[in-house]
Parts: sequence; structure tokens; C-alpha cells
Amino acid sequence: MADFLSTYGSLIVSMILAAMLGLSLYLPLMSGQLSLAGAGFYALGGYIAAILSTKVFTTYSGDLYPVSYVLIEMIVAGIAAGALAVIVGILALRLRGVYLALATIAFVEILRVLSLNIDITGGAIGIFGVPQPFGTPIEYLWIALPMLLLSMLFVYRLERVRTGRALIAIREDELAAESIGINPTYHKVLAFMLSAILAGCVGALSAHVLNTWNARQGTFDAAIGHLAFVLVGGSRTFAGPVVGGLALTLLPEALRQLAGINGLPPWLAQFLREGRLILYGLLIVLGAINFPQGLITPAMFKHHRAAKDPTT
Amino acid sequence: MDATLLLQQILNGLAIGSVFALFALGYTLVFSILRVINFSHAAVFTLGAYFTYALTGGAFGFNGLLANAQLPFGLPFPVALVLGNILAGLTAMGIERLAFKPLRARGADPLLALVSSLGVAVVIVNLIQYLVGAELYTFPAETYGALPPAVNFGTAEHPVQVRTTQLIMFVVSLVVLIALTLFINRTKIGTALRAVAEDETTARLLGIDTDKLILLTFFLSGFLGGIAGTLVGASVSISGPYFGIAFGLKGLAVIILGGLGSIPGAVVGGLAIGLAESFVPGQYVAYKEAVAFAFLFIALLIRPQGLLGRAVIRKV
Amino acid sequence: MTDAPILSASPILSASSVTHAFGGLIAVDGVSISVQRGEIFGLIGPNGAGKTTLFNIMTGLIAPNRGKLFFEGRETTRLPPYRIAERGIGRTFQNIRLFGELSVLENVMTGRHTRTHSNVLSGVLGLPAARAEERATRQQAMQLIDRIGLTDRAHVRAGSLPYGDQRRLEIVRALALEPRLLLLDEPAAGMNTREKQALSDFIRQVRNQYHLTIVIIEHHMPLVMGLCDRIAVMNFGQLIAIGVPAAVQRNPAVIEAYLGSRKFVDR
Repeated sequence: MADFLSTYGSLIVSMILAAMLGLSLYLPLMSGQLSLAGAGFYALGGYIAAILSTKVFTTYSGDLYPVSYVLIEMIVAGIAAGALAVIVGILALRLRGVYLALATIAFVEILRVLSLNIDITGGAIGIFGVPQPFGTPIEYLWIALPMLLLSMLFVYRLERVRTGRALIAIREDELAAESIGINPTYHKVLAFMLSAILAGCVGALSAHVLNTWNARQGTFDAAIGHLAFVLVGGSRTFAGPVVGGLALTLLPEALRQLAGINGLPPWLAQFLREGRLILYGLLIVLGAINFPQGLITPAMFKHHRAAKDPTT
Repeated sequence: MDATLLLQQILNGLAIGSVFALFALGYTLVFSILRVINFSHAAVFTLGAYFTYALTGGAFGFNGLLANAQLPFGLPFPVALVLGNILAGLTAMGIERLAFKPLRARGADPLLALVSSLGVAVVIVNLIQYLVGAELYTFPAETYGALPPAVNFGTAEHPVQVRTTQLIMFVVSLVVLIALTLFINRTKIGTALRAVAEDETTARLLGIDTDKLILLTFFLSGFLGGIAGTLVGASVSISGPYFGIAFGLKGLAVIILGGLGSIPGAVVGGLAIGLAESFVPGQYVAYKEAVAFAFLFIALLIRPQGLLGRAVIRKV
Repeated sequence: MTDAPILSASPILSASSVTHAFGGLIAVDGVSISVQRGEIFGLIGPNGAGKTTLFNIMTGLIAPNRGKLFFEGRETTRLPPYRIAERGIGRTFQNIRLFGELSVLENVMTGRHTRTHSNVLSGVLGLPAARAEERATRQQAMQLIDRIGLTDRAHVRAGSLPYGDQRRLEIVRALALEPRLLLLDEPAAGMNTREKQALSDFIRQVRNQYHLTIVIIEHHMPLVMGLCDRIAVMNFGQLIAIGVPAAVQRNPAVIEAYLGSRKFVDR
């Protein structure tokens, strides 16, 4: 077991981080907003952690970077991402559908170009040598796993209270929601902000996990990846993006293992190793056409909920 | 301000702007018929460049499944330009059948079509990388035959140099734009296209074969986009399979600025953004990339229907 | 037989010279109306007369080009729809707008939004006040659901209900708002005579039980005549008659609007 954990430690951590990024895309989706801005906030969070840990929090005892500092960075990243999200959100969330998606793409690209050109972010090269709070990759689970569980719990609770209902009502029929007194802009910005905070925190932790950070982390490609989590995993329940994130991060590794099987024709082996993104793309197309609600549907959970309700 | 510098920047801006316009028209054509944004357009742009490069006899590099592949013949540039982009147009038609038609048949939300086309773009770009690697390719030097490398529009003392490639970009774009406009406005098929863009149901009731027209539109958009890609690739270089993506995002900025679904809007928007990029002062040239996105963001906030689009009235 | 409406000196809702045009088309042309507290007020007219547009203006979906609106004495002309709902105006839509994927219960619970206050943090953390509010919301929603006989289908997807039930669900969702004014846009559309009568009784009971004022757009004449205390008639965006049903029925302009006339009528 210990062997397995040490070999696959970083994979497991990556899977958990990806699950959270899927969840962060789910939040604006709850109110019907397709936002690709999560990648931008993820990049922002990473830069904040990278800069703080390499330039500000440079004095500490021992070899390992204190975990408490990592938590502080995550809080700073969360606040910064949240604040930026509120500003951008108030501006952009009056837009709908395609227009909103485009605006979020533009936002991500502007951030990327900025990060490529400002000194403090290390320009195109980025920031290296982000210190490690743990000796082995698997130990990151001490932070990542509780984070995932807490965010899942948060979304689970959110869907069952007033605010969550308002978000879903907006997704179902914004006009009708507004006519019963739900303020659409407030709620959309709220969902957007929560999603940004989560993405920012994940970014901050990721900077440590990856030991380096650069503008390639917050690209359009990354946003597509997150979109794939939701498309494949499911967009109607929070478990969907989580499963999508776990599965799609596991997939390339699983494929690489498959490629190592004896007797596989070399072109197939090479494809499995390197053609991962082609597969992502195909999954997105197939997902959009055949399973717009993703693989994990609310129907799977419905009968549980009804049984638990005391009023039936 | 120095008059020659100004003229230079204007000409540069117009050259790249005309290519933006050409590329953006691909989006516009599809949007006006289907009301969806075709994200795979940028990938077809890229394909056009690669196809044409291959047809001129260009060799592919060390990486990828087709390493060192090279066609046994090399066609003259104008021929390769047309043939390669016919291939691009056909690819676009294939994309329509596979990624758009199933959604259209179900009356699905346009956002799903956007996502589906996004997936196609990812597949194509990565397929290119898988097949021929991510290296940079430049068109062979003889591409433009005996033409001089640059033309001087100014005088000997105040030279205003325009590279031949830029001139060709501008001229080809202009020719294609004029041809397209004539086609849309003066031919029967063009009129049918406009009818479908206006009101698909009525057009179908009038006996217009909307299905075939949609295929034609995609072919045209692929053809135009591929030409734009070839022009950019020939003028600078094909910097790798992703060179279309940044262009693609800028193309979106163009159509939002000009107005979704408006052909003149695409032209105006393209030229506007081309000029804006050209006028970015020297020290900020790194931020040039962000100009188009800043335009896009601001346009979306202030006037989502663009400069020449019509405001959409929501019916309750 | 109707209960006597509770009249008071000042109208609960008044529109003053409200005008709105879409491009070249004038949808609502200088309409002025006062609705008295407690009455059931009918708004009728041929298709395209501007009735739904007037509703949309009253509920803030559209800001009129000219004119003002007042609710309970306060101006509402340029308020967004959610603020108008907060002030106490609820509505239903011509093409039913339920939250189809949500359950019957969840639909009505969302109606309680403006009468509840727990924010995202207190809700997610499950603080005592938020929990209590959640229980109360559920209870009040169930009461309304009981009223329309959907108790045993409270967890069914709203979109899967039969048409008549969906209509009544939409009304009850608006009631969850605790409005003082309810705007109903063709609530009886698509119903047979028996269902229309049942709906008519339902609307009257609701008005009495919740002390509401109701404005209803309707096409079916017997329903309108039997239910409404007063009627306003619109045609081509203009108000052409207003008064008690019996009087309006005899008004020549109204007859002409509905039946057409070869004579050119001077205004």
C-alpha cells in the first residue's frame, strides 16, 4: 500500500485538485452561467502563492515550508480572486449565454498576456523553486482532501437552502425567478465569486504541488480541460464535475499504463501516450452531442432524496 | 507625428486588418445562418495553412507520426492556395455534419454547439501536433516567385516600405471580400443564403434546401478561414498548430465589435482591430495581443450587438 | 355571486399615461388605469392589443417610454422586476413559466424568497435561525400545495404535471410571495369549461382568503363577466373602455373592437 501511495501520490493529488476545479466551474453553472474564467482565477491564485513563498515568506525554520504559510497564501489568494471576481462579475454578468462565455474567455486571455509581461510574475518563464511544505507528494492530501470534502459539503448544503434554490431558479428560468423577487445579478455574481475563490485557493496549493508556476497554467486550454470535467462528469449535480475531474485526470495515466501492455501495436501505444488531448476533444464533442447532462445525472440520486423527506 | 511612420502603421494595420476581416467572415457566415459561434473555425484556419504548405511541397519536420513527410511535387503558390483551402472548406463541411447537425436536429441550445465546436478545435489542433509535430514552418522563399521583398510607397527620402507579403495579404483579402459580396448580393444562391439567415423556417417553406445551404456556408467559411490562415502563415510563419487559436480569439473580438452576423461589420471590425494593434506604441508591443481582447470585453459590456449589429429585442 | 370588494380611497395600482413602442410599433398608447384595493380587475381586448405588454411594464420587465406607475402610492416605473416583486406584486405568465426541473415543492419554496432572509453563509453553515427559516419555508410551501391538491405529488418534477395543475402551481408559487396584488396572464387558457369554472372559483377564494387585489388578462367572456368587478378593454394599445362588466359589454367601441365594423369611426 505504501508503495502504491508513493508511486501514485502526485497523481492522486492532481486528481483531487482537478475535481475541485470542476466543482468551481459547477458553481456558476448552477445559475446557468457558462464561465471559462476559472482558469484565470486559478492562475491568479498560483501566482500569489508563488510570489509570496519565493519573495515574501522567505524566512522560516527547517527544510520544509510551513503549512501555516500555505494556508495563509490560500486565504490571500481566495480574497484576491473573490474581489476580482466581484468586479469582473458586476461588469460581465449582465451578459448571457454565448456573450458571457466570450467575455470570460477575453478576461482569461487579458490576464494571461498581463502575466507574460509583468516582472513580478517572471514573464514568460514564470516562477521557479516554489518551496514544498511536505516531503512527499502524497502528503499534500492533508490539505487537498479536506479542501475537496469541505467544498463538496458546501455545494451540497448550498443546493438545499434559499440561496441555492435562487441560483437554480435563475438557471431554469431567469425571467420567472426575477418575477418572484430573486435578484439575478446579485446571485450570479455571488456564484461567480464563490467559484473564483475556490479556483484561486486550488491555484495557490497547485503552485506548491507543481513547484513552479507560469502563464501556461491559466490558459484557454486549461479552461477547456475544466469544461471537459463538467461535460463528461455531469452538469446537473455537483458530484458530476468531481467525478469528471477525477476520471479525466486519471485517464491519461491509465492510458499510459495501457500503452505499456505487451503486444499493443506501436502506433496505438504512441497514441495513448501522446494523443490524450485528442481524446479530450472527442469526449467533449461526444459529451455535448449525446450526454449534455453528462454521465452522472440527478436521476441517480432522486429516489434517495424523496425517501428521506419527512413530509412524504 | 512623423507622416511616414503614420502611413506605415496605417498600411500595416490595413494589411493585417483585412486578414482579420477575412477570417472573421467565416464566423459571420455561420452565425448568420445558424446563430452559433463555430469555435472550430480557428482550427480550420490552421488547417488551411498546413494544407497549402504541404501542397507547395513543403517538408514536415522531425516530430510526429508523419515526420519528414513531403509531397513528391510542389504546386505554385496560387494553385496551392486554392486547392489547399478547398480541402479546408471540405473539412469544415465534415465538421458541420459531425458536430453541428446532430445538435441542430434536436433544437439544442446554441451553447452546446459552441462547446461541441470547441471539442472539434481541440481534436484538430492536437491531431496536427500528433501528425506533424509542433515545429515552426515557413513557406519556401520562392513562394512569391519573382516579386521583390518589399514595395516602397513613399519616396526615396521618406520610404514607406510595405512587405510584399503584406501587400499580397491585402490584395487577396480584398479580392475575396469583393467576390464574396458579389456572390451574396448578386447570385441566386447568395440570395437564398440571405433568406435563410433572415428566417430559416420561411425559407424552408419557400422550398429552399436549407440543409445544402448550410453545408455551402460551412464550405465557404472554411475556404475563407483557410485562406486567411495561409496568408498569415505565408507572411510570417506557421508557428505551430496553436497559431490559429490566438487568431481565433481575436476573430471573435472582430465579430463582436462589428456585430454578430453582419458582413460589413466583420470588415469594419477587422480593419479597426488591425489598425488598433498597429498603433500600439513600441514599448507596449508585448501587450499587443491583449488589445483585441480588451476591445472584445469592452464591446461586450457597452454594446453587445457591435457597431453595425441590430439590438436584439427579448420577447416575453 | 361575488363578495363585495373592499374599496378604499386610493387605488392600489395606478398607471398614468403609460406609453411604449417597439421600434415603429406602438404597443401601449397612453394607457391610464386605476385598480382599487380588493377588486378583481379584468383586462381584455383582441390579440395584440397590448395587454401582456402592459403587464410587463407593470412588473418591471419593460421600462415604458412615457408615463408612470404607482403601487400603493409609491412609484415603480423604472424598478427592476425583482424589486417590484419585493414590493408585493406577483404574476403568472401567458406561457407558463415554472421551474420545470425542480419539484413542485421546490417551485413553491422559491416563491418564498423575498419573505425570507438567510444568506448564503448562514444557510450553508446551518445556523439555527437559517434552519428554522428553512423549516418554516417548507411548511408554508406545503400548505399552499395542499390547497391545490398536489400534496402527494410534492416531489414530482413540475414540468411533468398536467397542464391544469401547472397553471395552479404557478399561481400558488406567486402566492408564496405574499403579494398584495396578483397579476394573472390568461390563467384559463387551454382549459375546458368545467376547469375554467373551477379556476374562476379558485381565484375568487384566493382573493378573499389572502385579501388580494387581482388583475387578470382573459379572453373567455363568461369567465370575465362572472369573475371581475370591473373591466378595462384595450385595442391597438389604447384603452377604449373601463367600467363594470355589464356596462362595458354594451359599449359600442368595445363591440366594434371585437366584432369589427365597416364604418369608419371618428375618435
